[in-house]
Amino acid sequence: MHFAPLPYLDPGSGSIIIQILLAVLLGLGVALRASWSRIKSLFGAKPKADEDDDSNDA
Amino acid sequence: MPDTGQLSASFRDPSGFLFTDKGILYRQINRVYSKDYARLMDSGLYERLVKAGLLIPHVEAGHVSVKSDAGFKVIQPERAPFISYPYEWSFSQLKDAALATLSIQKRALKLDMSLKDASAYNIQFVRGRATLIDTLSFEIYKEGRPWTAYKQFCQHFLAPLALMSCSDVRLNQLLRVYIDGVPLDLASELLPARTRLNFGLLTHIHIHAGAQKRYSDKTVKPQANALRVSRHAMTGLIESLENTIAKLSWKPAGTEWGDYYENTNYTDSAFEHKKNLVSEWALEKKPALVWDLGGNTGVFSREAASSGAFTVSFDIDPAAVEQNYRSVKSKKEQNILPLVVDLTNPSPSIGWDNRERDSFGARGPVDMALALAVIHHLAISNNVPLPQLSQFFAAHCKWLVIEFVPKSDSQVVKLLTSREDIFPEYTREGFESAFSARFKIHKTEAVRDSERTLYLMEAQ
Repeated sequence: MHFAPLPYLDPGSGSIIIQILLAVLLGLGVALRASWSRIKSLFGAKPKADEDDDSNDA
Repeated sequence: MPDTGQLSASFRDPSGFLFTDKGILYRQINRVYSKDYARLMDSGLYERLVKAGLLIPHVEAGHVSVKSDAGFKVIQPERAPFISYPYEWSFSQLKDAALATLSIQKRALKLDMSLKDASAYNIQFVRGRATLIDTLSFEIYKEGRPWTAYKQFCQHFLAPLALMSCSDVRLNQLLRVYIDGVPLDLASELLPARTRLNFGLLTHIHIHAGAQKRYSDKTVKPQANALRVSRHAMTGLIESLENTIAKLSWKPAGTEWGDYYENTNYTDSAFEHKKNLVSEWALEKKPALVWDLGGNTGVFSREAASSGAFTVSFDIDPAAVEQNYRSVKSKKEQNILPLVVDLTNPSPSIGWDNRERDSFGARGPVDMALALAVIHHLAISNNVPLPQLSQFFAAHCKWLVIEFVPKSDSQVVKLLTSREDIFPEYTREGFESAFSARFKIHKTEAVRDSERTLYLMEAQ
């Protein structure tokens, strides 16, 4: 177990549990996307530019 | 605020606190936060966020000594020109604040940091954009650890946005009651059943609220081994919140004054004359901060702002404020801040000891206030006697640009058709006498092609 200090906000038990369940599910999508772009790059496709890097048009 | 001590808005976070000294705003960083601060500065995250307009810039104030033994460093952050609160924002302002928070979290994760809180009060509008003003919101990211701010993010941003978009835009007023955001069980109850068909709202609000209830008496340790959220999983969670919020929308239509300027009794020349007078008087008095009280979509706020003043444009109508904010965004205007405020019941001071969030009045007084086409609403629709109106304005500004709208004006005639005229003092003479008690009237101009009069007054 790694050490991490306890947060100063109470994250809430139910909130942590639902977050973990959701994150596992949603993380699968991200992992698949990451593997897919790695496969594509093997065949010479350029990775998509990261829109979060330079501007905030939110 | 007292000019020495700690500000009453920042006391929960042990990482540090805000204080003022000789009118300058500083933030003390405590020793417990020194590693996180070093990572923020050394990783390049600070620079990237400031460059993107997402984080308030600061300089290290080596000449200012720490205020307590726990202190490690003092920084001087740029001061936001006006502090506003989420219950004063229009839909798009809250949405942009939410998306800015998530964008910051995504960028932070890339450089191994994470937001340890996601409070809407940490976001302010600076140069027209939603900007994080709490430099101490970051912590070193430990892969595997859940996002401690997830619950707070849902309460402060997602729940009110969903309610505004799917139920009623006025429900953001719940934030005035619930200072730590809308409780998710309440949001879940108030949201229409169809929101359960939306994956993001179903999971982050409805199921989330259910889980909170179910585990309310159980303890979960966030660093327990089984409870790991991998980096991919964290990214997935943030992106899901981002997608859910990006799809929420609200169209300002059919509310009080949204199309007011198309339905006035004004001629173009009266309108232009009024604009010219406001701009001329603002240029003459050079106010640093202007409040446009009853600013509608901000036409006259822009005249004041063109003098270089930072202008806060208050209106009661969320549709007008939404339109105003959209034009701030599309024209990239940096010195106009539209806010929803009901002048007959302005924001109170709220929170711990009633001092955490300042009331409307405590954020003034300002150099100049505009009260255009608003006096008849306050005096006639809302029954406020003229002497009290004069007292109200005198408490909030030095210079007042105010328009008197007589009873013969068709807008006032309309207000009086459905009720008894119990306002014998509501005449130009009555107005001037009531306002002369608190102000020196410097200029009086009849607005061309209308029965209205514009005054420039100075509070005594």
